[in-house]
Parts: sequence; structure tokens; C-alpha cells
Amino acid sequence: MRNVLLIAKREYLEQIRGRAFKFSTVLLPLLIVAMLGANYFTGRDAGAVKHLAIAADSAPLAEAIRRQLLDDKDAKFTVEAVAPATRQDRDALVKLVQSKAIDGLLALETSANGAATATYTSQSSGDFMTAERLKYALNRGLLQERLTAGGLKPAQADALMKQVTIETLQVNKQGKEAKSDGLASFYKAVAMLLLITMPILLYGMDMARSIVEEKNSRIFEVMLAVARPDDLLAGKLIGVGGVGITQIAIWVAAAALLAGPALGANLLSGNFSLHFSWTEGLLFPLYFLLGFFLYSAFFSGLAATCETAQELQMYMPLAAVPVWLSCGLLPVILGNPNSAWAIAASLFPPTAAFVMIPRMGLEMPPLWQFGASIGLMVLSIWGVLWFSSRLYRVGILMYGKRATLPELLRWLRYS
Amino acid sequence: MPVVELAGVSKAYENKVAVSDLSLSIEAGQMFGLLGPNGAGKTSSIRMMMGITIPDAGSIRLFEKPFERQSLERVGYLPEERGLYKKMKVLDQLVFFGCLHGLSAEEARKRATAWAKRMEIAETLDKKTQELSKGMQQKIQFISTLLHDPGLIVMDEPFSGLDPVNAVLVEQTLLELKSQGKAIVFSTHRMDQVEKLCDSICLIDKGQAVLSGNLREIKSRYERNRVIVEFEGSSAFLNSGEVAETKNYSGHAEIKLKPRGDAQKLLHEAAAAATIYRFELVEPSLEEIFIQTVGGKADA
Repeated sequence: MRNVLLIAKREYLEQIRGRAFKFSTVLLPLLIVAMLGANYFTGRDAGAVKHLAIAADSAPLAEAIRRQLLDDKDAKFTVEAVAPATRQDRDALVKLVQSKAIDGLLALETSANGAATATYTSQSSGDFMTAERLKYALNRGLLQERLTAGGLKPAQADALMKQVTIETLQVNKQGKEAKSDGLASFYKAVAMLLLITMPILLYGMDMARSIVEEKNSRIFEVMLAVARPDDLLAGKLIGVGGVGITQIAIWVAAAALLAGPALGANLLSGNFSLHFSWTEGLLFPLYFLLGFFLYSAFFSGLAATCETAQELQMYMPLAAVPVWLSCGLLPVILGNPNSAWAIAASLFPPTAAFVMIPRMGLEMPPLWQFGASIGLMVLSIWGVLWFSSRLYRVGILMYGKRATLPELLRWLRYS
Repeated sequence: MPVVELAGVSKAYENKVAVSDLSLSIEAGQMFGLLGPNGAGKTSSIRMMMGITIPDAGSIRLFEKPFERQSLERVGYLPEERGLYKKMKVLDQLVFFGCLHGLSAEEARKRATAWAKRMEIAETLDKKTQELSKGMQQKIQFISTLLHDPGLIVMDEPFSGLDPVNAVLVEQTLLELKSQGKAIVFSTHRMDQVEKLCDSICLIDKGQAVLSGNLREIKSRYERNRVIVEFEGSSAFLNSGEVAETKNYSGHAEIKLKPRGDAQKLLHEAAAAATIYRFELVEPSLEEIFIQTVGGKADA
């Protein structure tokens, strides 16, 4: 055990003193903030400053839709209404769309029985956000026109159609309610997913890379004369895992110091509806460690069979598969954090850490799911360590060529 | 007292026999040379001695006890494939290895500083290993092998990469350690160093010990039919009817006499042709014994 701790301490100190640790500690959160910020602002500004034209048979309907579009606070439209519009007017407006003089044309035709058909012409087929906004404005405009056509005054129609906003509340296990914001929860879930994914992959790959480097520098022969291969592997895992935990602790402390007072004031005033709990604070590092041990143990075994960093690189896409799976499941988790898929992915060891963490951010899963996912991860780590330590014991002393599959199977049998 | 004993040790990798039924014993205060051509099984034998690989058959005893990892704290090992942590500072590295061998950090630091002075690399202690030359790194590795004052020192090719000045420094250190009662095992291709330093040898070929024992005794088994001549003048005497083979290095010749060749007659012929500074009748060199024993296939 003394040697394990000595090896862990050496790994820890070498990494902590390294430039890569300092850069990643500063740059990784900045990168995540930049990504989320870019996502937020591009999302908010999507469809902004669009110059649209409405061509309709009915002037009041065209005007009602124009007002609806101009009232949309999340989008900045300049809208021109042409009503009543002739065939020539419509053709002329389509030409304006072609020449990019305007961004789009909403053309409405009302049949004799009052049924309306609408077409939207633009040069971009993928602008679904503008199409959704137009659909909303069109239906509200039609409704208003029909209400006024039925005898209501415009003010009465407006009063009838006045929108009600929904305040979202999140209730905790103790029955206490707190303000919640769907968008903030979404960003929190994504941020937590990124914060757990990136260090696990980063340190897992770093561990694998350092094994290949040490194999090439022939340090293992010296180390094996004083320590067992299992002690070497355990020391490396503990040391590098400690670096990851230190980095997470620095991020949490920095976030508390920098954002704490401002966040606290906003939470008290109810302006910012985001909740963090102690449970999340404890389970986040725990899931980081479990995820890190699982991935690092797996890649350590593989790294011991590689001769060069390039060979190792071939295996790296394997690491990304569970991450892609977890990211792909994010919309399902956001829609229903307790769906069967979300529960299955939080119990499946390779995706458990990546799914459980964003789930926690949305709604605290039941205790049995934590117990089952942690238990399954521990069992998997044990299994992967058994497999990897056997490859590691033989692989670190094998030089000169990449091991073939039959050779790997023999290594597993021998050691 | 045997410090290390191998009894009937064998090791095979897949279809290749690396070591077969090897037995040897090394005493305290003895310098032991493990010789053999490339791929003969020297490194495999050393790896088993160090517990890096486990023998398929036979037994290994260290310090009069069956092999146990605890005993390795009393062993210093310098492998053929040198390895140091490149980004670590030299002193930190030496302290780390000292601690792995059971020293306290403070004691390891004290000893590392003293050894660095002795090996004339004190100025490198604060530098990163990757900043140093290969020879310097070799000396650091040498220190890390000796830092914990081991009773058994195992060195695989300890002189490779060293210039003549540093090779002498390492030789002197090894002789001093031997005089302190340490058992030293080293494998090398440098026969001149084995002749100079070793008390006993074991020559391995194809995994088997083909020649072993006290170096003087082994050499005395061979007839004194070699002549070393240092001369100035004509080398015509090298074509004498007494001579079987010669190696002539301009003024220095190594001659193998024919069976029943007359050394005195050769001396007269040489004196008539050239000025003779040295004429010495000797046993065959270890290199000749090596080549003869492994069937001329050695690449040493």
C-alpha cells in the first residue's frame, strides 16, 4: 500500500505541476461557458431582423398578423403587408424573395366559405423557427379576425385573447416549492453533462497516453523491480483521479467565490430560478470518480498493448460512443427525466455518470436508482480492472510490435 | 553466504525456451558476470531474479530465503532498458526511487545529494531529466540503483552509454561496493571489463549455462598458447611456421601458436626481425573462450 500511495503522489504532483492542468483548469470552464453562451445568444437571436412581407386577400387579417409579428419580443421582424393582394403582387413579392430584397413572403388565400390556406416562401428551407412564429401569428390573427367578424370589438377580441404566462415551480422531497426556470434547468443539465464528460474523457485519455509514454521510456522495467504491476496501475489511477477531483474542487470553489454573492442575491430576489443541492454536490464528484475509474481502467489495459500514441488514438473513438449515446438521450431526459430510456441509461455503467448527473439537475431520481447505478458501476470497475490489469502486467514489458487479438487472449490466460 | 541462488530455473515464452535448467549461486562480496550472445537468456534470467517474471520451473532464493517481494528492498536493479521519468527533476526522481525502496524522504534526499557529489553530477539535481545527456541520465540511474544501500546489485549492461572517464568512475564504484561485501551481478558484452572486474562468470547460450565458475579457474583450464607481442620493425616473424593465427594491430600482435608450436623459437625469429618491447605467453582471452564456447556465433 505504501508503494501505491508513493506512485499516486508522484502522478498527482507531476500532473498538478504540469502546464496542461493549469490550462485545462482555466480553459475548460471558459469553453463550456462560451459554448452555452453562444448557444443561448444564437438561439435568442435566431430569426432576428427579418424583413417579411404578407400578401393577403383581407387587409384586416394581414394587419392583425403584422401586429402579432411585431409584438413578438423574442424576434425582430420588419413586416410589410400587401392587401388585398393580386396575383401580380404575389409574383412581384416572390421575385423580391428571389433577389433577397426581402427574407420571406407569407401568402394567404381565403376561400368563399372562409377556409384559409397559407404558404411561406423563403430562400432558406431550414428556418423552422421563423415558420413556427409565423404559424403562431397567423392563427392568432385569424382568430382575432374571426372574433371581430362575429361582432366583437377589436378591444374585446384582444381581451379574450390575452395570454397568461406560466410560472414554473419545482417541488422537492420535503414538499417545499421553489421557483424554477425551464431554460435555466436546460442549461444547467447541459453544463453538468459537459462538466462531468470532459474531465472523465480528458483524464482517462491522459492516463492512457502516459502509459504509452512510460512504456516507450522503459521506466516500467525499473518500477516493476520495486512494485507489483497492480500497485503501479492502482497508484496511477488514484493519482490521476485525485488530479481530476482537485480540478473539480477548484471549479466549484471558483464558481462559489465569483458567482456566489451575485447568484445568492438573484436567488433571494427570485430573478434567477436555479437550484443546487448538497446531494448534487456530493454525488457529482462520486460519479466523476466512478466514471473516471471505469474509463481509465479500460484504457490503461488497451494502452499497455500499444506501442505508440498513434496506435492508441485508434481506440479513442470507443470512448466517445457512450458520450454520444448520452448526448443523444439528452432531449429524452429533458422531456421526461423518469422515462424508461433515461432510467436504463442511468443504470448502464458506461453511460451512468453522463446521464445521472444531468438527470439530477432536472429532478432528483429515487434513491434505489442511485444505489443500483453506483453498485453496477463498482461491479463494472472491478471487472474492467481484472481484465485490464492482466493486459497491463504483460503488455508493459512487450516492446516492438502491436499485440494481435490471439496474443491478447494469451496474455489474459497467462497472467 | 549465497546472496542469490537459482536452482534449475526454466522459462519459456510461447514456443521459445528463454532459460533452461539454469543454476547459479552468488556470494556476498563477489562480482559475478553473466555473459552470452544476444538472445541467450541473460535478461530473462535477471528478470526472474528480480521477480519481474516468474519461472516456469526451479526456484530462486534471495538472502537465503525463498523469493519474496519484500527482499527486493535490499536489491538494486539497473535494467538494460534504462528508464527515468523525463519531466521529473533529478533530485525528486532519486528521492522517489529511494522511498520506493523503503527509505524516508529525508534520508533519500541526503543520500541522493551525497551520491550526486560522488558521481560528479551535483549540478544536475535541480534539472529535469530530459534536459540531461544520455551519459548523465545513465549516472542518475546508477545512483537510483544504489541509493538504498542494497546487499545485492544487479546490473544489465552497466557501462553502455558511458564515456571512458565515466566508465572508470563506475568501475571504481563497483569495486568499492564489492569490497564492502555487496554481491554484484552484471551482464555485459564487454569482455575486457569482465576480465578486469569479475571473480566468477556464467556463460549462457540458448538459455543454458555452457560455462560457469571462478574466472581464474576457467582460464587455467586452457593451454597457454597465446602470445602478445609489442614490437617495432618488420612483422615478417608473424609468418613463422610456429604461428597458427595472428591479429596484427601495427606494433601490437596477438598470436595463436600451432599445437606444439615453440614460443622460444618464435621469440628468436621476432628478435631477429624487429625490436621487441613485450613478448608474453598467455592463456586465451575471455573473448576467445566466449567465441570458442558459443561456436563462433557470438556477436560480442
